[in-house]
Amino acid sequence: MHFKQSLIAGLIGLASLSAHAADKLVVQLDWLPDGDKAAAYVGVKQGFYAAENLEVTIQPGRGSSDAITKVATGAADIATGGISALMMAAAEGGIPVKAVMSVYSKQPDALFTVKGGPITSFKSVVGKTIALPPFSSSAAIWPVVLEANNIDPKSVTLLKVDPAAMAPMLAAGKVDATINWTTVAPNFEGVLKQAGKELAVLPWSAFGLDGYGLSVFASDKLIAQRPDVLKRFLRAYKKATEFAVKNPEAAAADLKSMVPEADVTAAAAAFRASVPLIQNEISAKDGLGSFEPKLLAKTWSWVAKSKDYPMDKIDPEKLVDRSFLPK
Amino acid sequence: MNPALLKLLDRTAPVLTLLAVLLVWEIGCRAFAVPAFVLPAPSVVVASVPSLELSTWSGHILATLQVSLIGYLVSILLAVPLAIGITGSRFLARTVLPWLIVIQSTPIVAIAPIIVVTLGAGTLPRVVITTLISFFPIVIYTASGLASVPAELIELSRSLRASRSREYWQIRLPYAIPHIFSALKVAITLAVIGAVVAEFVAAEKGLGYLILFSTSSFKIPVAFAALAILVCCSLLLYAAIVWLQQRCFPWSVIKSAD
Repeated sequence: MHFKQSLIAGLIGLASLSAHAADKLVVQLDWLPDGDKAAAYVGVKQGFYAAENLEVTIQPGRGSSDAITKVATGAADIATGGISALMMAAAEGGIPVKAVMSVYSKQPDALFTVKGGPITSFKSVVGKTIALPPFSSSAAIWPVVLEANNIDPKSVTLLKVDPAAMAPMLAAGKVDATINWTTVAPNFEGVLKQAGKELAVLPWSAFGLDGYGLSVFASDKLIAQRPDVLKRFLRAYKKATEFAVKNPEAAAADLKSMVPEADVTAAAAAFRASVPLIQNEISAKDGLGSFEPKLLAKTWSWVAKSKDYPMDKIDPEKLVDRSFLPK
Repeated sequence: MNPALLKLLDRTAPVLTLLAVLLVWEIGCRAFAVPAFVLPAPSVVVASVPSLELSTWSGHILATLQVSLIGYLVSILLAVPLAIGITGSRFLARTVLPWLIVIQSTPIVAIAPIIVVTLGAGTLPRVVITTLISFFPIVIYTASGLASVPAELIELSRSLRASRSREYWQIRLPYAIPHIFSALKVAITLAVIGAVVAEFVAAEKGLGYLILFSTSSFKIPVAFAALAILVCCSLLLYAAIVWLQQRCFPWSVIKSAD
């Protein structure tokens, strides 16, 4: 009995302690800590997390699906990643993860090609060779975007290539174009310059692809057990994102101070390339972080078409939780 | 040619070969103007090293060495008792050995992501992957070493009523030492490979992670520099095992198959 009482007393003591200690959160990025991921690090370095009494650990990832899986299995509390990956996971059999904030209100996918090359618009991809990364959401959605532009996907030769090999292949003229996120444009420019070529970017959003891209996810467990912590994190993360949009150089320096392998100039360029995806006419109208129902439904319709899911396979509204966004 | 010069040539042959290869590589890159993002010249690779702080390099090197060595030690601690068990008991051999072969036949690279998802992100999954990749040769070599004792020696020890443990300590294990060291040499290089595989799948530090990070931002020279350091680490660890064998069991070196 004594033991039980002292145990309870101890637990009460612990609980009162943790009220003062910072809440721990593990944030899983969807990819390696390149410049476009700077906002997460800004939150640490500029003290936005600390101001909300949060102790945040950031883990680099290996793709959106990988990041979502880690949150679902409890290896992380929060993740960033493309919302289409969450929709696919839900359509494939449900996943205890919700999207709680949008970061990109425009899709980041784009065609990268060489200025003065044979590809000048979507219409001119017929008969050309294009490299794309395997297992990417871009690869899944590509044929649908082509069909929406009345182009037969079979008329394009696709090469599945490791992301690291793409820029060299484009520079060497082995492919006519590659499929990438616009955020890596600065990296490509550097490689193409060595080959004496110039990069041309054709964003798919200019060819009809609309919807949300990079978003913030939280596990159902975090939502149920620590809603207040999540609310505070989103407040801090939103501030960090806004800070990075205003000060890309400072954001890159913050990233560099935590990721010594990074290169400040390249990181700043990469983050600047992502700004139009974060700050645009959509975010101006709806506010940064929101999921506007119509655009969310549109995002799902692209995913459903790309994967041949029936439209009613999932309700995208059930995958988002808007209640944690700072007003 | 005088014999002294020949001897010198013979002793420096490996280094000279390496230098010759590097020279051809350097000249080739310059002559054909191979861009750095395809194949950087050795001089470009060396010049890329200072682009990262020394502390960054050492952090990555130590992270990879730590995972390799922990995984290596765990695999030795698992493999040697297992080998003793397999050679000593028919039951164990019939039950455990098939599983060992199943594990060895499974491409660890393919199941590494599953291991990471199951065990979370930390040092543990990396050590598990390293252990899985490096322990099999130790089991097999050790078991064959233990079994290679001449039958008459075993009969002699049994006729003198030696206990099972003495039979192992004084006859079987000494016979197995050259085999075990052959296995340890193979396994140490596998342990480094295992650590890198694990870092490719999930890590935020280590030379494998640095290679992935550098190639993703098209800093190919840095990736090559990391690769060169990785190879050097492997060679040094291998040399350490050779030295250990010469130090502790000099009599076994001659018999050891290299």
